[in-house]
Amino acid sequence: MAGRHWVKGAVLTVLILSLSHRDADSEGVRLNSSGPELVSIRLEPKAVELQGSGATRRFLVLGEFSDGLRREVTSASRLRIADPSTARLGALGQVVSVSSGRTELIAELGGKKAQAGIVTVGTERRRPFSFSWDIGGILTKRGCNSSSCHGGVKGRGGFRLSSDATDAAEDYQWIVRGGGYQVLTAEPLGPRHSRIDLDRPDESLLLRKPSFKVAHGGGERLGVGTADYEAVLNWVSRGAGFEGNGAEGLEVERVEVFPSEAVIEEKGKHQLAVTAYFSDGRQEDITGQVRYESLNEEVVRVGEEGLVEGVGKGEAAVMIRTAGRAAEARFGVIGEAIQEYPEVPRRNFIDEEVFGKLRRFHLIPSELSEDGEFIRRVCLDLTGTLPPPERVREFIGSREEDKREKLIDALLESPEYVDYWTFRFADLFRVRGHYRWVHVYWEWVRKSLAANKSYDQMARESIAAQGYDGPSRIYLIDNNKPPALERIVAEQFRVFMGRRMDCAQCHDHPYDRWTQDQFWGLAAFYRRLTNTDWAFDNVVFDDPDGHEVNFGEGKSTLSFRENRHPRTKQLVPPTFLDGRVLPGRDRRDLRRELATWMTSHPYFAQAMVNRMWGHFFGRGIVDPVDDFRLGNPPTHPGLLDRLARDFQEHGYDLKHLMRRIVSSRTYQLGSRPNANNRGDRLNYSHAYPRPLEAEVLLDAISTVTGVPELYKAEGMLSGTAPSGTRAINLKYPASYANRFLEVFERPKRDVVVARNGKVNLMQALHMTVSPTYNEKLGKEGGRIDRLLQRGASNREIVEEFYLAALSRFPNEEEQAGLESLIQKQSSRREALEDLLWAVICSREFASNH
Amino acid sequence: MNKLEGLNPGGPISRRAVLRAGSLGFLGITLGRILELEAALSPVKGGPTGKRAEACILLWLDGGPSHIDTWDPKPNSSFKPISTNVPGIQISELLPRMSMKMDKLAVIRSMHTEENNHGVAHHYAMTGHRPSPAMKFPAFSSVITKELGQRHNVPPNVMVPEISASARDYFRSHFLGAQYDPLQIPDPNRQDYNIPELSLPESLTLERIEARNAFLELVDGRYRQAVESTEYANLDEFRQQALNMVLSQSVRQAFDLSREPEKLKDAYGRNMFGQSVLIARRLVEAGSRFVTAYDRKRVETGRNWDTHGTNDKQHKDVLVPVLDQTLSTLLTDLEERGLLESTLVIAMGEFGRTYDLNPGGGRDHWCHCWSMVLGGGGIRGGQIIGASDERGAYVADRMVTIGDLLATIYKALGIDWTREYMHPIGRPLKIANSINDETGKPIEELI
Repeated sequence: MAGRHWVKGAVLTVLILSLSHRDADSEGVRLNSSGPELVSIRLEPKAVELQGSGATRRFLVLGEFSDGLRREVTSASRLRIADPSTARLGALGQVVSVSSGRTELIAELGGKKAQAGIVTVGTERRRPFSFSWDIGGILTKRGCNSSSCHGGVKGRGGFRLSSDATDAAEDYQWIVRGGGYQVLTAEPLGPRHSRIDLDRPDESLLLRKPSFKVAHGGGERLGVGTADYEAVLNWVSRGAGFEGNGAEGLEVERVEVFPSEAVIEEKGKHQLAVTAYFSDGRQEDITGQVRYESLNEEVVRVGEEGLVEGVGKGEAAVMIRTAGRAAEARFGVIGEAIQEYPEVPRRNFIDEEVFGKLRRFHLIPSELSEDGEFIRRVCLDLTGTLPPPERVREFIGSREEDKREKLIDALLESPEYVDYWTFRFADLFRVRGHYRWVHVYWEWVRKSLAANKSYDQMARESIAAQGYDGPSRIYLIDNNKPPALERIVAEQFRVFMGRRMDCAQCHDHPYDRWTQDQFWGLAAFYRRLTNTDWAFDNVVFDDPDGHEVNFGEGKSTLSFRENRHPRTKQLVPPTFLDGRVLPGRDRRDLRRELATWMTSHPYFAQAMVNRMWGHFFGRGIVDPVDDFRLGNPPTHPGLLDRLARDFQEHGYDLKHLMRRIVSSRTYQLGSRPNANNRGDRLNYSHAYPRPLEAEVLLDAISTVTGVPELYKAEGMLSGTAPSGTRAINLKYPASYANRFLEVFERPKRDVVVARNGKVNLMQALHMTVSPTYNEKLGKEGGRIDRLLQRGASNREIVEEFYLAALSRFPNEEEQAGLESLIQKQSSRREALEDLLWAVICSREFASNH
Repeated sequence: MNKLEGLNPGGPISRRAVLRAGSLGFLGITLGRILELEAALSPVKGGPTGKRAEACILLWLDGGPSHIDTWDPKPNSSFKPISTNVPGIQISELLPRMSMKMDKLAVIRSMHTEENNHGVAHHYAMTGHRPSPAMKFPAFSSVITKELGQRHNVPPNVMVPEISASARDYFRSHFLGAQYDPLQIPDPNRQDYNIPELSLPESLTLERIEARNAFLELVDGRYRQAVESTEYANLDEFRQQALNMVLSQSVRQAFDLSREPEKLKDAYGRNMFGQSVLIARRLVEAGSRFVTAYDRKRVETGRNWDTHGTNDKQHKDVLVPVLDQTLSTLLTDLEERGLLESTLVIAMGEFGRTYDLNPGGGRDHWCHCWSMVLGGGGIRGGQIIGASDERGAYVADRMVTIGDLLATIYKALGIDWTREYMHPIGRPLKIANSINDETGKPIEELI
């Protein structure tokens, strides 16, 4: 077997340029003549206990090099087992148990040596066959059940498999009994012809198709004679059972990949090791039996055997899929290792997590933000409001050590905090609806924030809302009556749990694990939801008995909405995600039960901290913020966990969460990248600029020009909002048509809000010709008007514009350049207007950075 | 002085303006480029440049016309069939002018869709998909806009007149990007017709635009150098485009209906729909790729095509005569300008209407079999595609789906109709999606 290692080793010579077998025995191994030197090696894992006959485990050799990088060097190392009668070497780095006993794996490279202990037990016990695991694994590895093929919503060519063998029992039926899958009914399509042939196993359709003996749209997937082909053939020959003796109750508990995170260089390589852990303690090396997928091929590529290769700088995850299980490994591809890494102060666990990863990924964070940069950023993020010039002067001039902490405290207790977060939560909770009662909903949001109500309580009040209470209006915002069950469940799951189940309404989710059963099980919690009528006192309630309610002649009578499973046509009982059915005795207040379960589920805290993180950093730890999903892993899993735990431990206190975030050095870093971290968009090495929300931008323009926007009501309302009303304070924005807000894409709250913040042609036209960008500039009583009346000099005016709009002083170059440009114009007043136009059109103004 | 009127080619431009133009490159906005473009732009001479259509005008007949009272006459219609200038083709007597134009149009009499309510059917017709809770689909108008690109600085996708936000949703590009959304313009038949986004404020002279750019360059320079974002390049490009548009005389003129002879305005019809179609022609002539003339509830009569009551009276007195006049005028006008070969004209609603009258004398929604027409843009006119049964109730021959129709339209415009876009949620979307997620097939006889 040793020979095979060296064949593989050749692949790695790109990295280990001058490393050969001979070199490995000599002193001083280097990557190349001038490259870093190997300092030490170790084996991963350090020790294993192998249970059962033929149990396997993959070892990797990791070398520490003088440049501070750890490289995987298994194929370059010499591996041997001290006692070959106990265990033997299989594929690269793989150890296979032979007989019960105890031995060691020894690795040597460049005069360095490492050992790992191996214990083998129960080698007389074979693992029983399992269709789910053994055949399901092959179908997954070969891509047969991928969502773009037979694992798709409707399957392919009449043959459907559950994606990644998540439902083996069903797959078994389609294979053994045959038949075509139908989306809208559980009835199989057409006559059932088995896809296997017990009499002539090699004539089984299941083999003839993927071996391309007959036409197959997916091409050749399973070559005759390959181990996987033989395994399937063998299974059919033995009678195609679902599981062997003793397989019952034997499950794969988890699948782990090593490393879960690593750094490599461009063109560098790193082998993965994937292990399956069974419920009886057995482990198997499945590195060669899983499907790998790079989520960003411009950063890393991954081969069929789990060898990862760096392509371009950046960061990407590698997905590992096998029957019913998935895992992921995250790779950073760096340009150059940094040996002299600077000391970066840390303020709280956020910094530990973020800076810890930056260190591992050889990225150096930018400097701390300047005071002006910080006050503008934190005021906009916490209050949606620009700090007034005098406050900026004062803050920049202050020498107090803890001035940033004090500012944060002041902002969190300010009335603008309540204004702004009412606006933000009104977006999230979709505050809209009938003008007669939209205010009770809005006021509930506002009061909750003013009182800093715990977020889990807000969520419970919303989910379980009854009667005429503010939060109950969420159920009436579309057409004054509760929307279809499926809409509610998808939306509330997305808002409170951060996950998009929508696809599972009509079919099992093709890219995630959500099933239609889970979807309709949750929908069942809302099935009693009803309302009185769409009169003045539209009351939301749960009708516990399901009797019909008569609303008088000509009005419809209400009865239960049916949450029938669209495919099986069965009524689904209220069922939690884990399949637990709510017992009958607890079904008195279904939505209350659901609210209790949701708000105590780990997803709940995760979803909110991630949403908040997204608010303050412009991208979520999982991004988009409400799209937690297989295949969309978090960039900082540890940070996500700690933030969620911290939020939970502090009673879901939103202000605590915000304070935690904005107090971190990570949040307070400058937005100017350094030479090393330029281009980083994932690791918070510097602050990322974010576009201001349409409403905040309009308010900021009004503030800076000194000319308030007038909001005229339309439709059912009439009149004009009081002068000075800010866009973020409009209780029912839909009533106030505003061209600026439309062009800058104020959300209509008809769906859960996702602001894209991208510029478009209309916005550019608007900046050029619209009243907002033109008439406000020179208006009587506006900022320019007031400054001129006061007799301010050009120098003073430039400075005031900068302080008001950009929260900083102009630098000398800007000051001098602008003053001279003003003087060159024929009309001073027009020049000042044009300067102010430039200020409010600048990107520095239109983004938070 | 030096108002923007001076910007037309050969017009008086101050020497200073030209000299300074070169220094404004930082934001990507140069007056020099505008002038160049303006010069290159001299009025677009129409005429076929090839076999392929270059633009599309959609006459959207909102609410759904009764097919048996228009393009597919039947004994159960109250109106008689009349012969047309194509032997063997008969249409309803309500369309006398169109009967003389049938050689220009193809009629599809076997449209079959599966949605019988306005919103959903409308969505289905514009996108080829039923609404989904998981995603929004781009309208075929925005797909065309994206595939064909902008011409001559003219907004590529325009809708006239403006419509309600909910209906607008079916015409949007969604994940394709806001640049492919239709620009909505007001009813051109109104006295106060004006497009605020294309009207320069009086005070904004060329010199002030220059001054503003110079100020902006100084104000934003430090930040742009320090902070990285791809947004700047996009914004600069949009600003350049915006300036091109507002400064370009030809663009402004494209929206200016006063430049049309009164006689032609009369010919199109002095009503919202007639003038909307006229603007559509002006825009396509100037360079737009897709213009939707939206025959919504007409301000003049308060009616649209959704004739649940008094179907016959509405069709006879109100609805069809306007369509007959406007569509026939459009075809003549396009032809006279040599634009018919390069302009695809489509007239349709979201479905047809029931083959028998309801007790109120109306006809209700009917998606199982209905008719629509298309012509120009290389479409072979004077043809009937498919057939309905003897009452116009169901497809008797050659069912045509929305996917087939879209494939035909794309093919006429030189767009690969088998193309799929990847939706951000990871689902591939066919641009010509037919029933059961099959790819639509172009109607071969038409192109």
